[in-house]
Amino acid sequence: MRAFLVASIAAMALCPLAVSGQTAPQRTAGAPARSSVPRASDGKPDLTGVWQGGSTQRGTWDEANGGVGVGGTGRNPSAPVALSTNDRPSGREAAPYQPWAAEKVLEAFNRRGIDDPTTFCLPAGLPRTAILGLFPQQIIQTPAQIVILYEYMSMFRVIPLDAKHPDDLIPSYMGNSVGHWEGNTLVVDVIGFNDKTWLAGTGTFHSDALHITERYTRVDKDQIDYEVVMDDPNVLTKPWTLRSTMMLREGTRLEEYVCAENNLDPDRHEKLLKEGVDFRRQ
Amino acid sequence: MRVVVLWCLATPLSAHHSFGAEYDGNRPITLTGVLTKIEWTNPHSHFYLDVTDAKGNIVNWKFEGYPPGVLYRTGWKKDMTMKPGDSITVFGWRARDGGNWAHSREITLRGGGKMFFGPPAGTGDGGTTPAVEVR
Repeated sequence: MRAFLVASIAAMALCPLAVSGQTAPQRTAGAPARSSVPRASDGKPDLTGVWQGGSTQRGTWDEANGGVGVGGTGRNPSAPVALSTNDRPSGREAAPYQPWAAEKVLEAFNRRGIDDPTTFCLPAGLPRTAILGLFPQQIIQTPAQIVILYEYMSMFRVIPLDAKHPDDLIPSYMGNSVGHWEGNTLVVDVIGFNDKTWLAGTGTFHSDALHITERYTRVDKDQIDYEVVMDDPNVLTKPWTLRSTMMLREGTRLEEYVCAENNLDPDRHEKLLKEGVDFRRQ
Repeated sequence: MRVVVLWCLATPLSAHHSFGAEYDGNRPITLTGVLTKIEWTNPHSHFYLDVTDAKGNIVNWKFEGYPPGVLYRTGWKKDMTMKPGDSITVFGWRARDGGNWAHSREITLRGGGKMFFGPPAGTGDGGTTPAVEVR
């Protein structure tokens, strides 16, 4: 049973996905045909739709998640297999933090994420909001701009195309985004962040010098390949690259998410700390 | 054609807060009782269960789980899937402070069907490996 569980975990966490290194997807002999990429009226790939970040499963939301429960295998409810946006996936390279900053990240990990800014219902920032799978995101594309609506924390991004960043930016949780097309890939440049979010993993803090470059490539009807490069010379030794996928969820609609409605967690965390309850990893 | 092999991942959850900090993944619990109240609220839903202990006393337990939108998308219907008065069985993990509350995972409904009300143990606590390399 244990071996089965381990195998299930491995299968969930380590599914090899071959993609072309070229911009346009290529077919190889024997490979299944991919559905065509929908095109907008201007000929660009049309990213419009409701998507689930961080998923590799095709189908409706229920088909991809309903049987197993979001984040679980569905085979054993106690199997601790879920990856969250606070987890480092197996096989992924370590985040290239400067030594002093890595110590800070490790301390947050050992505190089991109790310091997560989202505990206070603050926005999760980028790229975390883009790669999470618990809530859908909706992309609305026009020739002049892309709009992304995120159910989680009810956030939005308006991404003008072929535009420059304003020179009077106010530091913000989601930053200021501008985009342009490079062939079939939407490239989004994001600056103007505050320093109050985590990037992708427990404690992965950053400074207000954070500069993010995202690349969205719709490789077929169902899938967008998402690549993000994070650069922050104040805390990282080099740019940090992550890759993920977003899957089309036809029939899914975004729901309201009012985090402050019944947020009990800050008080509970304060109580844990005050009472000296042992929750640390070590 | 250059082919790059990527290691893809299980769907990452959101982590409004760390279940691993508040609940102990090493203390699973299964309780059967009568549902007394459900709170379909963000950032997390809750329900309450009257459980009869070994001495015959009725103890009201509180359970936490997914937010309403997540439950809805995985097949839950408010006021239909389970209602106060239903006898249900809950599998989950106890709170670290030892109180009568827990993180719910699998619910066995009145009719015998099973559905997930919350995520697996440890969700949001950082997983098995820190983001940075430990030397």
